[in-house]
Amino acid sequence: MIRKIWAIFRRDLKVNLKDSIALYILFIPIFLAVLINLFTPGINETTVDLALLEGDNPSQISYLEQFAEVELFKTIDQVQQRVEERDATIGIVPENGGYYLMTQGNEPEGIVDYAKILTSFYELDISMEETNSELFDFERTVPPLKKTLVNTMILLISILGGMLIALNIVEEKADNTLSAINLTPAGRLTFVLGKSVIGVLLSIIGTLSLIVITGFGTVNLLQLLLVLLVTSLLSISVGFIQGLTSSDIMTAAGSIKILFLPLLAGVLAIEMLGDKWQKFFYWNPFYWAYKGNDLILSQSGTWSQIFMYSSIVLLISGIVYLFLAPKIRKGLE
Amino acid sequence: MISVKNLYHSYNKDGKYQVKDVSFEVANGEVFGFLGPSGAGKSTALNILTGLLPLQQGEVVVGGYDLKKVSNERFNKIGMSFEQSNVYSKLTAKENLDFYRKLFDVPTLDSHALLKLVGLEGKEHVKAGEFSKGMKHRLTFARSMINNPEMWFLDEPTTGLDPSIAADIKDIIKEKNKEGVTVFLTTHNMFIADELCDRVAFIVDGEIKLIDSPKNLKLQYGDKLVEVEYMEKGEVIKTTLSTVLPEDKRELQKIIEHHDIQTMHTKEATLEEIFIKVTGRGLV
Repeated sequence: MIRKIWAIFRRDLKVNLKDSIALYILFIPIFLAVLINLFTPGINETTVDLALLEGDNPSQISYLEQFAEVELFKTIDQVQQRVEERDATIGIVPENGGYYLMTQGNEPEGIVDYAKILTSFYELDISMEETNSELFDFERTVPPLKKTLVNTMILLISILGGMLIALNIVEEKADNTLSAINLTPAGRLTFVLGKSVIGVLLSIIGTLSLIVITGFGTVNLLQLLLVLLVTSLLSISVGFIQGLTSSDIMTAAGSIKILFLPLLAGVLAIEMLGDKWQKFFYWNPFYWAYKGNDLILSQSGTWSQIFMYSSIVLLISGIVYLFLAPKIRKGLE
Repeated sequence: MISVKNLYHSYNKDGKYQVKDVSFEVANGEVFGFLGPSGAGKSTALNILTGLLPLQQGEVVVGGYDLKKVSNERFNKIGMSFEQSNVYSKLTAKENLDFYRKLFDVPTLDSHALLKLVGLEGKEHVKAGEFSKGMKHRLTFARSMINNPEMWFLDEPTTGLDPSIAADIKDIIKEKNKEGVTVFLTTHNMFIADELCDRVAFIVDGEIKLIDSPKNLKLQYGDKLVEVEYMEKGEVIKTTLSTVLPEDKRELQKIIEHHDIQTMHTKEATLEEIFIKVTGRGLV
């Protein structure tokens, strides 16, 4: 069986290396990685952002400016609007003679803690001279924008894997070769697995290239592999369906772009929406895959967290597969 | 051996059968032809026998494998040449065959040797997409032999081919049959059937109307005639006489004795004429 799966994969690879669209899909992860490197800032260009009321407490503002990027606003409403923007800005607002931290709810815990410490230090009148410096990890070993882009691209690459499968299925249909394959001892399962290999390998090799080129090469690769494999299941299922229902390569490539919608929805929900909206995206496997990848890329994910997110992705993808499996079976007849 | 009993098939499962109560047997080493016009149910029956279509109703045993029990192993024993060429257009002729060789569990034939056999020597490294229709058909035909099949299914094996290629294909079929391969072919070309088949089945509207050897069919349904051309008073006279009717027999004897015979042929009925006689339908 392994020999036949390998033969089917080698055939696909041979054909894909002769096809311009497939070649483009095969090498796009590397182009994306280079683009991300070119257009995203480095970690030294990022800092913790605080939003304060203008003229409220000039000494506090001066103090905090030593440790963070401080933005000033005329009203509390303006501070709140700034806090609600997509980055992790913390508001420090006066209340009952003291100060409270205004947060959106989705800021990394380390940044909130950092803001708390700064406020306490100011209240305790601790000066720079009295402090010892210590490097502290704010869950930001990498620039957040870069991490977001790399994470999104990892999910995109898994979709490209599905797209490649769809192209190969369309080729089989166009040449009418499925009937010839069906009359060989390579059963349907062998054929499906053989056709899936190129999609999964694109996902794995493409992602590895991406993370190495963008400087994420030190992440836990096993955790990443786990999330990649479960995410690929969804892309593979959709790849087969689109391949079997499309009459030509352009239609198949166009149809599989339908997956971009839940992908973007998942990313935007996590990055831009507050806690109360998150539950509306729990159905989306890309939402959970993004969360898992986010922990992996920031090197803060425990195995239990990764297993939990992977299980959710696997469960949702499995349900999608069960729904699509009869159509795939029928299409391969 | 192939055994088919009471085979029915309906594409829409709506009671309208494309194959109706078809029963026949094909012995090992036999060349059996399914003859009928387009849409008669030949390919449907063939696709059920090969496993391309599911068995809905009836009993079918091919090469010892009961088709009710699904087994991919049986494909090691069968080969199928499709009516429509179906090869990977982006792969070369050799790559096409090399790929299929890897999908079988039995010893396979060398790709070069197969290409040579079907007259594609020197085209090994040409992409199949650049082949003419006839070359693609020969590649499809070559692929059907790759696993040295015991049961060889040929769907319209010479349709659309020029006469010289068709003759080559017929020679290969005869050669393989001599080696003991059982051949099941479908065709609407009665000359092919007449030349290749040990027995033929006439199929119309999904039903088998008759099964027999071409020779028996001609004896049973053909008129026994002789066509004679002879010289009389400097002119060529052409006449057709029965070899059964007494007056015609006497006339034939008189012509032989008193005239210079130019040509004389026995005139057998063709399978096509017999088909029309038996089924009341043409072959197109």
